[in-house]
Amino acid sequence: MSGLQGNPISQYGLLRTTSPRTIPERPTGSPATRPSGLGYQMGGCGISGCISTQGRGISGESISRMLTTMSERENGLGAGYACYGLFPNRRDEFCLQLILDNEESKCAVEEFLKEHADVTKDEKVFTRKVRTLSPPYPLVWRYFVKPAEKREWRGNSNLSEEDYVVKLVMHINREVEGAFCVSSGKDMAVFKGNGYSYEISEFYDINRYSGQLWISHSRFPTNSPGWWGGAHPIGILDWAVCHNGEITSYGVNKKLVEMAGYVCTLQTDTEVIAYTWDLLVRKHQLPIPAAAFAMAPWHHSEIPRMDPNSGLLAKALRLTYKEAFLNGPFSIIVGRREPEITMIALADRKKLRPLIVGTSSDRDLVFAASEECAIRAIDTQADTWTTNAGSPMIAQVGKGVVRQGVEPPFSGVVR
Amino acid sequence: MSDVALSNGTNKGYRLPERFRPIVDDTSCKRCRRCVTECSYRAIDCVGDHIVATDGCVACGRCAAFCPTGSIEIETIPNQFPPHANFTERIRRGIMSQASTGGVLLSSCGTDVEHPVIFDELLLDAAQVTNPSIDPLREEIETITFLGRRSGKLTVSEKDSFSFISEIGPVIAMDMPLMIGHISLGSVSYNVQKALFTAAKELNIVAGSGEGGLHPDFYVYADHINSEIASGRFGVTSGYLNKVAAVEIKIGQGAKPGHGGHLPGEKVTDLISHTRMIPIGTDALSPYPHHDIYSIEDLQQLVSGLKEATEYRVPIGVKIAATHNVAAVSSGIVRAGADFLTIDGFRGGTGSSPRIIRDHAGMPIEVAVAVVDRRLTEEGLRNRVALCAGGSIRSSADMIKCIALGADVVMTCTAVLIAIGCHVCQQCHRGLCSWGIATQKPELTSRVDPGLAAMRVKNLLSAWNEELKEVLGAMGIDSVESLVGNRDRLRHFGANPRIAEIMGVKHVGEGWG
Repeated sequence: MSGLQGNPISQYGLLRTTSPRTIPERPTGSPATRPSGLGYQMGGCGISGCISTQGRGISGESISRMLTTMSERENGLGAGYACYGLFPNRRDEFCLQLILDNEESKCAVEEFLKEHADVTKDEKVFTRKVRTLSPPYPLVWRYFVKPAEKREWRGNSNLSEEDYVVKLVMHINREVEGAFCVSSGKDMAVFKGNGYSYEISEFYDINRYSGQLWISHSRFPTNSPGWWGGAHPIGILDWAVCHNGEITSYGVNKKLVEMAGYVCTLQTDTEVIAYTWDLLVRKHQLPIPAAAFAMAPWHHSEIPRMDPNSGLLAKALRLTYKEAFLNGPFSIIVGRREPEITMIALADRKKLRPLIVGTSSDRDLVFAASEECAIRAIDTQADTWTTNAGSPMIAQVGKGVVRQGVEPPFSGVVR
Repeated sequence: MSDVALSNGTNKGYRLPERFRPIVDDTSCKRCRRCVTECSYRAIDCVGDHIVATDGCVACGRCAAFCPTGSIEIETIPNQFPPHANFTERIRRGIMSQASTGGVLLSSCGTDVEHPVIFDELLLDAAQVTNPSIDPLREEIETITFLGRRSGKLTVSEKDSFSFISEIGPVIAMDMPLMIGHISLGSVSYNVQKALFTAAKELNIVAGSGEGGLHPDFYVYADHINSEIASGRFGVTSGYLNKVAAVEIKIGQGAKPGHGGHLPGEKVTDLISHTRMIPIGTDALSPYPHHDIYSIEDLQQLVSGLKEATEYRVPIGVKIAATHNVAAVSSGIVRAGADFLTIDGFRGGTGSSPRIIRDHAGMPIEVAVAVVDRRLTEEGLRNRVALCAGGSIRSSADMIKCIALGADVVMTCTAVLIAIGCHVCQQCHRGLCSWGIATQKPELTSRVDPGLAAMRVKNLLSAWNEELKEVLGAMGIDSVESLVGNRDRLRHFGANPRIAEIMGVKHVGEGWG
C-alpha cells in the first residue's frame, strides 16, 4: 500500500469495471479448422435449456433471451444453441450440420458423403453478417442423410445405423480439412460459434427457428482459440451437451470412451461427456438415472442408506463404470431425441457448479439454467427448485417432468 | 554380495577391504556388551576392556540403535581402490569375489544400482481457480479400491421398476489402493508375517502370502491374504486356496525376472518345512518357469483350474515381472481370464537373487504400468481387470504417481519391512538379519514383536493413505478411481523427454489436453 501514499486513489479517476468490449480481442482464424496446437479447453460458462412437454414449438427468441440474460457468465469466446423437433418433415433422416472453411472443404465433405451415405437433401444454413462479429465467417451447411445400405467401415460390416453415422462424423472431423460436423442427430441441429451469445443468435437468426426443446451455452474460457467447432453444445448423434465445469478426471473418462471406439477430436471434457451419455444410454441401454448415477455417484459410505437392491445396483454401477465417474465441478444440460425428446439437467455430486430448474405455471414448459434470472427472463411466474447434487432432473415431451432431481437415485429395484 | 565368503585361506592376500566399521566412543561406552549380543554378523567384539570392530560389518545399524549410551556410529569406509571411473569399486569388488568363489553373486533387497528414478522426475498437478480443490479434513475423499474382475457392461432395464442382472465380481473391496506385496514365510520370520497379516486385516487391505503356502496359524487372517501360486507350488492345497481373499499366480518377480524362488536351506527350519511341505534344510529353489505353463494357453488353463478350485468366489490374478514386452504379455494375460494383473518393476525387493539379474534385467515400473495401461485401453480391456503395480514404491508420492500412470492398486514390500526395522543392508539371503526380519534363527526372530511391528506398518500405510487424500483433494478429485491412469495430472520434469512420450506424460510447461 505504501506505493499509493500521497497519491489518493481518486487521482486515477474512477476505475471502470470491465466492459465486455475491452477484453479480450477475439482471435481470428479459420472457423472450422481446429487450430494446430490447440489443447484442452477449459473455463466457466452459462447454460440454459427449455422444453415443451406438450410438444409445442418454443421460439428461438425465448432461449436466446434466457441465455443472453446471464451476461456475466460469458466473455465473447463461444456460444451456441441446439434445437430439437426442428425438421418434422425429415425426422427419420440424420441431419449432419457442418461448419466449413470454404468451398473446397465443402466439396471434400460432399465427395466423402456421396460414397458412404445417401444424401437426400442438402441446404445452406441461414447465416448473416453481424456488425460486431468480425469475419472470417464459416460456411454452414446441412446434409440430410440415410446411412448406406451396406454399412461397412474399415472391415466392420456389423455396424448399426447410429454407430455408422458416428464413424462418418469422426472421419470428417479428423480427416477432412476445414470441415467440422457440429451435430449429427435426427430432427435436431446445433448452431454455434465464436462470439457472445447474442451475436451467435443474430448470426444464425435463431429467432427464425422453433422447436420442442432448446438447450444453449455461453462460454467464459480461460484460453481463447478462434475456433467455432470448440463452442458448445457438443453434439453426437441426437445427443447435445451444454456443460459448465471442469472435469478433473478427464484422462480417466477419455479412456472409457476411447475403449468403446470414440475418437476424441475436440480435447474438451464436454466431448467426453457427450460420448459417455451415448455409450451408457444408447449402446449399453442403461436407464438415464442409472447412467447419471455412474457419472455422479453417491459415496460408497452413503450406499448403505439405500434399500438393499438399490445398494447392489449402486455398487455394481460404481464398480463397472468407474471410468464414467465425472469428478470435479460440473453442471450439464443434455438434450436427446430418441426415443422421445428429452432434457436432462445434472450437477456433480458435490454440486460445485450452479443449476436451477423450473416449470411454467401451466406445467408445459420445463426450464433449466445456471441462474434463476435466465428462467425469470422468460417466465416471471415459473415454479423453480434446485436439484440435489448428482441427481438428474429429466423432462420429456409427452410425459412432463419424469424426475425432479430431488429423488433417491433409484426406486423399486428388483433383481 | 557376501564379502564374508572370501575369508578362506586359499584366497589369502585377495581379501576385500571392509566397507563399514562401527566406531565406538570409548569415553562414553559402559562396556555393557549389548552391541556384541545384538550383532548377528559378529562385526563387533569385546577385547579386554574395549569394544572393538572386527570384520564383516554390513551397516545394519543394530548395534548403534541398541547402545544404551549412544556411543556407536557406523562409519562408511572410503573407497580403498585407486579411483577409476570405468572399473568402479563396485565392479572390482564383484570381480574379486567371483575370482575367489567361482560362484554366482547373490544379493537381496531391490537393486542398489543408480539408475535414474522416473518417479522423482514426475510432478503432480493441483487445482487453481477454474476448479476448486477439496479439503480432506472437511469432506470425504474416497480411497476404497476394488480388486477383481469387471464386466465392462451392466444390463439394467427400466420398465415399471429397475431390474438388473448382476455381472460383477468376484471382487474384494479394500480401504486403500494399497496392498502389501508377497513376502514369504521363509524369506521372513513367522513374527514378521504375522505382523504384516495383522496390519493388513486391521487396515482392511490385502497382504501377499509369498510363495510357500500359509501357516495354519494364519488362517485367521485368510480373508485379507492374497495367496501366491508360484512355480514350486510349495504348500498349495485346495484347503487353503478356499480360505483366502485372492489367489495370484506368480510368473515372475521384478527383482529376478525369469527366475524362480531362492530360499537357502539354512532358512528351511521345522516351521518352514511344515508350511512349504519340504524337508528341513533343503534349498527351496522353485523352478524358473511353471512346468505346466509353457504358453499363454497353458496359463489360461491354470487360471481356469484355480477358478474351478475356488468355485469362482475369489479373484484370480497373475503377477509378472516388468520386462520389455510387458504390454503384449499383459494383454494376453487379461485375455486368458485373469481377474487382476500385477506388474512388478525391476527395482522390486527380494530375499535372495543373483545380482546379475537383480541389477540388469527388467524395466522400471513407472514405464511398465504406463504402457500396460495404454495397451489394455487400446485393446478395450482396461475396464475388465484390476491393474496392480509394485517394484520399489518408497513413499506415498511414488504410490500416487504410480496410480496416475495407470495402477488401480499399488503394492509395497520393502517400505513395510523398513517400518519394522529393516535398514536395507542387502544381506537377507544370509539368514542372519540382526533385526530379526529375514531370518529363521529363533534368537533373532524373537527380536520382532508382532504387535508393535503391526502397529508400525499400520501407521506407515495409514499415513500414506492420508497423504493420498491430501493430494487428491489438492487436485480437485474426491475419489481415487478418478486418478487411475489420469496422466493429465502428471508432468515430466527430467532429462529425457522420450521417456515422458512413451509414458504418455506431458513435459512441465505444457498445459492440459
